[in-house]
Amino acid sequence: MHLLTTTRDTLLAPLQSVAGIVEKRHTLPILSNVLIEKQGERLTMLATDIEIQVRTISTGDLGGEDASITVAAKKLHDILRALPDTAEITVNIDDKRMTVKAGKSRFALQTLPAADYPTMNLPEGEGTRFSISQKLFKRQLAQVAYAMAQQDIRYYLNGLLLIAEGDQLRMVATDGHRLAYAANPLEAAITRTEVILPRKTVMELNRQLADTDDTLEVTLAGNQAVFRFGSIELVTKLIDGKFPDYERVIPQHHPKMLAFDRVQLLSCLNRVAILTNDKFRGVRMVLEDGRLRIVSTNNEQEEAQEEIEIDYQGDALDIGFNVTYLLDVLNNIGTESVEWRFNDGNSSALITLPGNDTFKYVVMPMRI
Amino acid sequence: MPSIKPLSDLLINQIAAGEVVERPASVLKEVLENALDAGSRAIEVQLEQGGVRRIRVVDDGCGIDRNDLPLALARHATSKIATLDDLERVGTMGFRGEALAAIAAVARTRITSRANGEPHAWSIEGSDLSLSPAALNCGTVVDVAELYFNTPARRKFLKTEATEFAHCDEVFRRVALARPDIGLQLSHNGRVIHRLPPADPQARTGALMGDDFLAQARPVDADAGALRLSGLVSLPAYSRASRDAQYFFVNGRFVRDKLLTHAVRQAYQDILHGNRHPAYVLFLELDPAGVDVNVHPAKIEVRFREARAIHQFVFHAVSRILAASGAASASEPLSSSIPNHAQGTQTSVDLPPSPPPTRYQAPLRSYGPGPQAMESANHRYFDFVAGAAAPGNAMQGTSNQSGAPAADVPTDGAPLGYALAQLHGVYILAQNRSGLVLVDMHAAHERILYEKLKAVVDGRPSIQRLLIPAVLRLDARSMAVAEECTEVLVGMGFEVAPVGPHELSVRSVPTLLANAPIADLVRQLLDELGEVPASEVITARRNELLATMACHGAVRANRSLSIPEMNALLRDMEATERADQCNHGRPTWTQLSMSELDRFFMRGK
Repeated sequence: MHLLTTTRDTLLAPLQSVAGIVEKRHTLPILSNVLIEKQGERLTMLATDIEIQVRTISTGDLGGEDASITVAAKKLHDILRALPDTAEITVNIDDKRMTVKAGKSRFALQTLPAADYPTMNLPEGEGTRFSISQKLFKRQLAQVAYAMAQQDIRYYLNGLLLIAEGDQLRMVATDGHRLAYAANPLEAAITRTEVILPRKTVMELNRQLADTDDTLEVTLAGNQAVFRFGSIELVTKLIDGKFPDYERVIPQHHPKMLAFDRVQLLSCLNRVAILTNDKFRGVRMVLEDGRLRIVSTNNEQEEAQEEIEIDYQGDALDIGFNVTYLLDVLNNIGTESVEWRFNDGNSSALITLPGNDTFKYVVMPMRI
Repeated sequence: MPSIKPLSDLLINQIAAGEVVERPASVLKEVLENALDAGSRAIEVQLEQGGVRRIRVVDDGCGIDRNDLPLALARHATSKIATLDDLERVGTMGFRGEALAAIAAVARTRITSRANGEPHAWSIEGSDLSLSPAALNCGTVVDVAELYFNTPARRKFLKTEATEFAHCDEVFRRVALARPDIGLQLSHNGRVIHRLPPADPQARTGALMGDDFLAQARPVDADAGALRLSGLVSLPAYSRASRDAQYFFVNGRFVRDKLLTHAVRQAYQDILHGNRHPAYVLFLELDPAGVDVNVHPAKIEVRFREARAIHQFVFHAVSRILAASGAASASEPLSSSIPNHAQGTQTSVDLPPSPPPTRYQAPLRSYGPGPQAMESANHRYFDFVAGAAAPGNAMQGTSNQSGAPAADVPTDGAPLGYALAQLHGVYILAQNRSGLVLVDMHAAHERILYEKLKAVVDGRPSIQRLLIPAVLRLDARSMAVAEECTEVLVGMGFEVAPVGPHELSVRSVPTLLANAPIADLVRQLLDELGEVPASEVITARRNELLATMACHGAVRANRSLSIPEMNALLRDMEATERADQCNHGRPTWTQLSMSELDRFFMRGK
């Protein structure tokens, strides 16, 4: 049966959008497949790992008959990508096999019936809906996503807290050592809704969202969230858990405040990081009148020291940090300057952007 | 409703026997300990049918006075202690005064004894306490026959003759190890099994543990104040699949104590493969007031007043000995055959098996300078064999760079010798005074890096404070342990505080384990701290990480090394503690001596 004939990119582009979430190893073979549905001019591709489902809908002149089938996503993707981009692809389905032809190339792939493919039902009911520009949402994700935990047994930390309330969208992530918070305005008035997006969903969104002003539509309902943008619809399950009370750990009254040029501080830290201990990654920040020294030593007793002139008069302070936690935040906020607040060597430090309270980063010190 | 009646004496004793007289071996233990407490110099044990038919112990001790004989068989009657003070400082093996009474309740028991100065011996029958005159040179004979003749239920639980005998033999060994100064003999069904004349501790240990243990063991001798630890511990190369060769004596009493076993085990950590067990014979001596032996009727468990100090002492004493790497004193066990070659003779190498090292008799007096003392012993040894060899060549590893012929490789000075070549990119071949040294370069390098990493990490741990404290649900016992051991936990980098009757919050973690599952770790830690006052959970966990780092940092197989690089590695090994084993307990090097090679090629025959 002739399924379709079209250009390579008509198939490859949507496949690339959905294939990213397909896991490499499975106990359920059909999950390594992508579901391809063709109805007239409409081509739907869908992939899932049970937790997340990505679907793309594209239209074009496809020819052939209507059908649904599933086939190994990774293999089809690799084949298409390896073919010349001008190639015209013909896909046939015969007796449970899918044949992909292009010029003198010919590939026969195993298929599994489309009816067996586990698709997620869309959430019922209205839920909470809002729209925001893809660019803003993506930037906000980037500001906090690095602070998520990885494979922590406190499973609710392996994700990102999303709060829509009034005209604000807030995101929070923490791994128990540091916490990042970012807020964006929304053009709506929404009753407070908070969900925890799984880590993988956050990564996938970050990968797929474009740096454009096109809208992203978000629906939060039941234990699912739906993101619609461009030709993509991403449905994800949510993490069911109680996220820690982030407002309690954001310090309010740290007395010592320093302002830094972000790039200058970042480069100092990058250099000092070279001579930190591989596992500890500890740097000491020694604050004195008018200057900040950043010091590191490693296993071999080698030392690095950077000095930054600052506008500071007050008590001296000696505080240690995991430099990775500092580099993370400085790398992911795209501003020119940052403000840094301290209390003492045992309490957290707060990093904010000058002149607004849309971003907050709290990091606990380490004793070196 | 049944009325309450006092039990008869026999029944009381039979109940007590349930605890004390578990099997023939327990009878033997009690009777042997009585013989020791009587100050005997020679003890003879005769068993029949694994001790079930008869256990007869003949000693030459102080004997029992005629008038005391009936009391000896009475419950709670003893000559060993009289007041509570005595109990707290008990120096004798027994003191409860119930063993003989219990034994007499379940077996046909006869005691014949002649106290010093008596004209003749008296004999007492356990069943009716009838006294009769008897003939005996001196001392006491305890004859226990037909064990459990009156408690058939108990008899059914006895195992085969061989098994029961094995248990008796084990009891006998423990006594023999503990008291080398006493002559002992054990015979079974008329056949002599052990005949042990009074000897020094080392000879006695050798006679019971075998010469191969002796050859692979290192003496321990450490003291700190009133504490003294002596004995022999096996090198990791001589490990066992079970714990059968572990003897720990506290003030001469065999114990199987969690605290002590743990301390020794910890000393073997990361030089012994996980499911192998070390062999050792160790004697801990301390003020009797510092240990409570009145914990268990069979006295196999003890309690220490200062458990933590004892744990630390034992751990450090043993690990000091083990850390002194054999690489720093290579070829030690082969000493017998080396002089032939050092003197250039190639005559017969068929020497009798080398006598085991005799250092146990003149133990290192304190554990402080352990490794140095070993080294200097080594120097003396080299001085002794130097003979015709060239004076110490202060060669640096580099002087042999350009593939000089092997004949020029100096052989003296360095215990692990100097590198000759690399074999298939895996092994280093080196030549030392006694022959060929083979080194697994990855394993050796891994250990060197690992020890360096450990040295860096030891001391005050770097800690990461937690923004979101981890909260654990714990049972009441673990909560109590957490509160008792707060300081120990802080020392390891865990700041904890109770936040509820069953909830503990962890506010900081050691940086190295910052990404480990905190809750699991703390739970394990508390479990272990509840048992013994020191925990290896954290060190073990940390060492695992360091080991991985060391493994990744170490040279891999197929990396070709130049001669200077190989020599540098050999010198590092000599300077590194525990360099004989890689982190997983595998050996890092081995020696093929000239005599072994000669034997292989049948040279000089």
